[in-house]
Amino acid sequence: MNKVKGYPQSFFCWMGYVYLVYGKNSGHLGISHKPGLDFTFWVRQGYKNFKLLTPALPIGTAAFFRDLFLKSNLDREGNNKQLINKIMTIGRRLLGLTSWEPTKGALVEPLMPPPIDEIELIKEIMEGRIFWREELIQSMIENKIKVRTPLEDILHWLHLKGDILLFPGVGYDANGKPCCKRCGQSTKLIKVKCAACQSEDFVCEECLNMGQSRLCRPLYARQKSEKIAKRDYEVKCNPKLEFDLSLAQKDAYDKAKDFVAKGKAKECLLWAVCGAGKTEVAYGAITTVLERGGKVLYTCPRREVIRELYLRLRSVWPQLSIKAVYGGSTDKYSQADLILATTHQTLRFYRMFDLVILDEVDAFPLAGNPMLYHVVERARHQSGQVLWLTATPPTNLIERVNRRELEVIYLPARHHGYPLPEPKIITDPFLKWFGNKRVLKFLIKCIEVTLKQRVQILVFVSSVMEVKKLVKLLANCNLIQPSWVRGCYANCSRREEIINSFRKGEFPILVTTTVLERGVTIPRLNVLVLYADDERVFDNNTLVQIAGRVGRASTYPQGNVWFIGQRVTHSMASACKQIKNFNQLAYKRGYLLK
Amino acid sequence: MLNLLFFKGKFCTWCGRPFRYGAFCHNCLEKLDYSKQQLKPCKYCGRFLPLNSSDICSQCQVELPVFHKARAVGAYRGILKEMIWELKYKGRRSLVKPLGQLLANITIKALRTERPHIIVPVPLTKFRLRARTFNQSELLALALGKELGISVGNDILIRTKETIPQAGLSRQQRWRNLAGAFRVKEPSKIRGSHLLLVDDVLTTGATASVCTHFLLGSGAVKITVVTLATGIEKSNYSL
Ligand SMILES: [Zn+2]
Ligand SMILES: [Zn+2]
Ligand SMILES: [Zn+2]
Ligand SMILES: [Zn+2]
Repeated sequence: MNKVKGYPQSFFCWMGYVYLVYGKNSGHLGISHKPGLDFTFWVRQGYKNFKLLTPALPIGTAAFFRDLFLKSNLDREGNNKQLINKIMTIGRRLLGLTSWEPTKGALVEPLMPPPIDEIELIKEIMEGRIFWREELIQSMIENKIKVRTPLEDILHWLHLKGDILLFPGVGYDANGKPCCKRCGQSTKLIKVKCAACQSEDFVCEECLNMGQSRLCRPLYARQKSEKIAKRDYEVKCNPKLEFDLSLAQKDAYDKAKDFVAKGKAKECLLWAVCGAGKTEVAYGAITTVLERGGKVLYTCPRREVIRELYLRLRSVWPQLSIKAVYGGSTDKYSQADLILATTHQTLRFYRMFDLVILDEVDAFPLAGNPMLYHVVERARHQSGQVLWLTATPPTNLIERVNRRELEVIYLPARHHGYPLPEPKIITDPFLKWFGNKRVLKFLIKCIEVTLKQRVQILVFVSSVMEVKKLVKLLANCNLIQPSWVRGCYANCSRREEIINSFRKGEFPILVTTTVLERGVTIPRLNVLVLYADDERVFDNNTLVQIAGRVGRASTYPQGNVWFIGQRVTHSMASACKQIKNFNQLAYKRGYLLK
Repeated sequence: MLNLLFFKGKFCTWCGRPFRYGAFCHNCLEKLDYSKQQLKPCKYCGRFLPLNSSDICSQCQVELPVFHKARAVGAYRGILKEMIWELKYKGRRSLVKPLGQLLANITIKALRTERPHIIVPVPLTKFRLRARTFNQSELLALALGKELGISVGNDILIRTKETIPQAGLSRQQRWRNLAGAFRVKEPSKIRGSHLLLVDDVLTTGATASVCTHFLLGSGAVKITVVTLATGIEKSNYSL
């Protein structure tokens, strides 16, 4: 047969049975796609009687009925036919299934278990992972492992032994409500029919980018085992810093290290000002975990950050095995001590890491995405810790800090020891939308100041439309040269080129939307937020991030931040207050130069 | 502003922006339209041609297609190409309904008052269906059927043979490749009827032609083809 391009193997649809097996003292309810394997396993444990309770069902449905039977007082011999039928009827009603053929007392023949060496291989490669069978195959290819027994049989045997968890991609809760067990969400489930196994199916579109999660598809998970790898970690783990830590960094560094060394608190927030070098501060904590033989995950929603960090950290720990995993990276499945991953990619880890570092927790697309919180939490080992790194924590974290439920480490000063430039608020109640002379007047004033200082200016507006309008307005105002101003936004085709040109200082004024609130560092810069009172776009955190663009370089630690609007919003006020508070704290602790 | 506050509509399946009615949001629809700007469909096979060229593409000038006519929602590029990719390779089912609406629009535009009797999707082989768990053409056909109120015969045409990818094959090789790849299960169902054949993309038209061949051979009288996307003929003189 011709090889079908793009589909190297068929999806594994798990169709199987709920069974009851009982021995002298106890009974056990299980699900299996090949009950013969279970039969062999339980007979070896001294169980005797084996009985199928249902016809073949997709795994989601089978697991639902198993749980339903578990909750009921099914006597351990399962002789109560009436009760079994009653439970089945209840279950079918909850799921809206039509009745099915009564299960015939199909004879289950014992099957040989998979060979031990193959079992051990798979057990090892599954460590700390949560996979579809197809992902496991990919992992085996990358790790150059081969087995002859069908993978699902080996995995099932490990499940019987208690080494692997088996659950459906999409499963039901006790009330028969479907939910994706991979990403934890139930908002984007779509009812479909699986053409492969002909079952009524659900597929989850929340995590679709990472493959189809379905009712008939099994997930296999194994947590990292407790055994501690003893290697020459002391030699390996001392971080090589590119520069000396500042006083403020040193304090935070020690505190973060302490948090991990003591291991008492589960979580800790490292709240740093923008551009304070928060990543370096986490090196001590990372080292402590690695020296213990633990595993560390450093995750951030943005792919660029992960790639850049990979290069940096490789020179910090040249002897350590470090790996970067992001959409499009080549080897996603091999092992390493320190793993850097975009937040989406943590979906494939299961109870693996002793320390999870979450960078830029508030950045899109993590903010407001419960799925990502769910998968990051799942990647942490049960005894592991979480360190949040951010300049702008989401409100729920701040609330927990205020209630003293969450430990916090402040890093209030930048490496160069100068205070953060504090925003100047300019309000004018008659400031209307574009076309108004007043708008232009304020803008030109700020631009004049900027040009006199021989620096560049980033002008933030709330929408793409406004970028276009403002660029036109400024270019035609006859007060500045038209070539001095350009615009840039998320889907703008020449985005990279424009940003690079601005970086090189080829023109002084760049108008943009909030897409540039993070990541772009220009040494000599002022920023201006026009209509900063538009709270839908410019919330507290966005304003803090925007203000944090300014004064980062030690060669030019000053700079101007302007918020222009009709009125002062709560967000504007609180952003200014937050920046002031950090400056005061830094001053009090003696982190500032003067 | 008020619109935003009191918004109770739906969200665009593609970009997530809120919108009121139709298949996708205004923005995405505009982008979809953009794929066929300055182009018109070939009178017969529906492939897109530059506005200033003749009404018939070079291929149809040599030999008219066996089907009545073919039409596509847009050209195979840009946002439409991305959507088809998401549907076909990632299985993003939420796209099926809005894309089905677009197919319905193009069908009505192509056939006006003429109403086909049965909708037939281009099938996959059993093996391939198992590997993929769904047939995107069938999903589209079902959505289109719902929109137009026409029944879908997804068991009429059966694919019996896996074919190698068509790209790089000559015309003759293509036909040989596809010969015997299909079978009509119940010819009685389609005898004397006008069928609407649905596929995701019409590239060379070979698949559609072969399907048509089998369907006509089993008693159907007229086949119209609708697809999401089709190719563009750059210039009439390029061949
Ligand atoms: Zn999901
Ligand atoms: Zn299935
Ligand atoms: Zn849209
Ligand atoms: Zn033509």
